[in-house]
Amino acid sequence: MPGSGHARYASLHDVELCAHAATGERRAFGELVRRHGSAVRGLLRRMGAQGAEADDVAQDAFLTAFERIAEFRGDGTFAGWVKRIAARLYLRRLQKERRLGALTAEPAFEDAEDPHDDAEARIDLDGALNALAPAEKLCVALCFGAGLSHSDAAEALNLPLGTVKSHVKRGLEKLRARLGPGNGAVLEGRRGNG
Amino acid sequence: MVEVEFERRLERLFAESGEYGDANAFAERIERRLDAGWTARRWLIGSAGVVGGVIGASQLMLTNVVERVETAGDSARLLSSGLTHMAPRADWLEAVAGGGSVVWIAAALAVVMMGFVLSRLIGEI
Repeated sequence: MPGSGHARYASLHDVELCAHAATGERRAFGELVRRHGSAVRGLLRRMGAQGAEADDVAQDAFLTAFERIAEFRGDGTFAGWVKRIAARLYLRRLQKERRLGALTAEPAFEDAEDPHDDAEARIDLDGALNALAPAEKLCVALCFGAGLSHSDAAEALNLPLGTVKSHVKRGLEKLRARLGPGNGAVLEGRRGNG
Repeated sequence: MVEVEFERRLERLFAESGEYGDANAFAERIERRLDAGWTARRWLIGSAGVVGGVIGASQLMLTNVVERVETAGDSARLLSSGLTHMAPRADWLEAVAGGGSVVWIAAALAVVMMGFVLSRLIGEI
């Protein structure tokens, strides 16, 4: 019965749960989903996926992760690994439905609203991300939410590396204006490993 | 440094995702899908094993294995009797000549092995 036997796994570390899941223990994997499902769904929403679509992709990402659990070496966190799977699945879906091109080609818009007047946006990442152009939001979420490098993001988005760097830079500037102190400083992405 | 600090903060904000109200229901949906996939896979493996075994057995039957076993038995007996004159202690050959049971056992093992290999292959897929 789904949902039974949670207590047995609740005290285990993610790495231990992964080891159990690798032997086919689906309840152990269920505990991992319980722990990190919200983070993965949240990332997909921040990338621009709508509620039901985000949940669909998140489900597929976890199912893919279960099938490939033996590939998870524990170098990074389990959540980070699944987030990267989910981000790539979402981008693949966008590509398949021919939505990715339109999204990344959409011109950046300037938010007319003064960010300093919006107190909530200062502490609300989601609100701040909504002020970004879709391409900027996607690039920032990929690099800072899913942990992809600039070059990995460029490859996943099928965009030139320089374009991705520009999107990230502009996105960071806008986010900093909304979220951070010392507005106005030009930000340089430190993920220029591509 | 300021930029790096801000980027770290941004990463933290991304990581600090609130818990969804339906987090348990979401996990249970995935567990159900995993269970369904597992059941389907077990049925597929079992069915493939049975089909593989039946195909293997029927192939053995179709290749007149009974006739061949009898011929092999006769040949072994002849060989055994011939060798007995030269080496009276060749008991093992008598065992072989003692009937087609050894060959039958080998054939049965081959069928089981075929089913097993097929099952493993599908399981790996």
